[in-house]
Amino acid sequence: MTAQFAAKRLGKELQKINNSLPPGIELVSADNFEEWLLDIRVLDNNPLYRGHTYRLKFKFASSYPIEPPEVVFVKLADRLIPIHPHIYSNGIICLDLLSSQGWSPVQNVESVCMSLQSMLTGNTKDERPPGDEEFVRANRLRPKDIDFFYHDNNV
Amino acid sequence: MSRSALALKEEGNRHFQVKDYAGAEALYSKAIVADPKNPKLYTNRAMARLNMSLWENVIADCQECLKLAPETMKAHYYISQAALNLHDFGFALEHAFTAHKLCVSAGDKDKSMAHVTAQVLKCKKEQWDDRERRRKRETTELESEVLSLMERERNEAVGDMMDVNDGSRHEIEADWQHKIDALRDVFEKARSGNEKRRKVPDWAVDDISFGFMVDPVVTKTGKSYERGSLMEHLRRHPTDPLTREPLYMSELRPNINLKDACKEFLDENGWAADW
Repeated sequence: MTAQFAAKRLGKELQKINNSLPPGIELVSADNFEEWLLDIRVLDNNPLYRGHTYRLKFKFASSYPIEPPEVVFVKLADRLIPIHPHIYSNGIICLDLLSSQGWSPVQNVESVCMSLQSMLTGNTKDERPPGDEEFVRANRLRPKDIDFFYHDNNV
Repeated sequence: MSRSALALKEEGNRHFQVKDYAGAEALYSKAIVADPKNPKLYTNRAMARLNMSLWENVIADCQECLKLAPETMKAHYYISQAALNLHDFGFALEHAFTAHKLCVSAGDKDKSMAHVTAQVLKCKKEQWDDRERRRKRETTELESEVLSLMERERNEAVGDMMDVNDGSRHEIEADWQHKIDALRDVFEKARSGNEKRRKVPDWAVDDISFGFMVDPVVTKTGKSYERGSLMEHLRRHPTDPLTREPLYMSELRPNINLKDACKEFLDENGWAADW
């Protein structure tokens, strides 16, 4: 599909998002159809994330929603990268749903945010992925081009 | 194709690519003189003329092409676009549908399905807008006509009462004013009734493009999608969008009941085409 279809679909997603979003998800900015920022927080009392808000950056290609958006956590003065065995300290997320293979065009910005919320909620491990330091230092690939090994989709 | 026609066409294509549409048109014209029986040359020239806003000429070229090759999807698609610009909505819609049908029978070979689907919706939307504009104008005209008739009646009635006492004249006057206000109210209510809450039902919306469905197809899971959107997805990943199980185009079935329901809704709510 071309940029015109991506823009049309994103326009409609934005309309919906402006009307209502599930609890714990907030739109920060969506000035164009290339990059949106959203904040998420967990809704339960998971001590790893309670009281924190996390910033997500969505980048859309002209092939969206046939291809997934690129989604990463962003670090700011008041926004940390959540600790999680599938989230690298540079904000890159290892989640099947966001890979070319695991993505489905019926997913959308809202459903991705909700998946990430539940990925955090369900986690009890206070750790980064194995090899985090090395990965953060050496990786030059875009998130979607990284060949993650989805060894454990339950985490 | 004769060698010179082929060379002229290719040179025309080069001009087209750098957006020199007039240059491309001239070269395609020469190619047509060299080889008047080649349908492709007509659609190429039509495409150049589409970009030059020469709507009537676009239609003429496409009709020439269709005489030589009646199944040319592009010719119908271009006619539809040109006709829309000429505000010939019924004609535009008819050719958009034919283009769509040809896309469906071409299956995976044709990648224009999404564009053609968008064109069908565009035709429907513009046709609806045009009807609405006309209806509004007619209503407004009717309203002012009826109002002036009533005002004339009132003036006559009041005129007849000139020599009667002021009290009953005021009564007659108030009586008429009440009727006139009531009539205005009726027209006002009719207007706002048309602007009432517009909501597109979820069942009519494709979960991939988020557009209104024109030609829904159903998968094994029982979920329906717009044909063009789903084909776009299956071309890259032959999996069911919901279950991720293998899914092939040959397994899709048209959802005729849903298609009819969508059509019926759209006929009565044309604004939804561009929801």
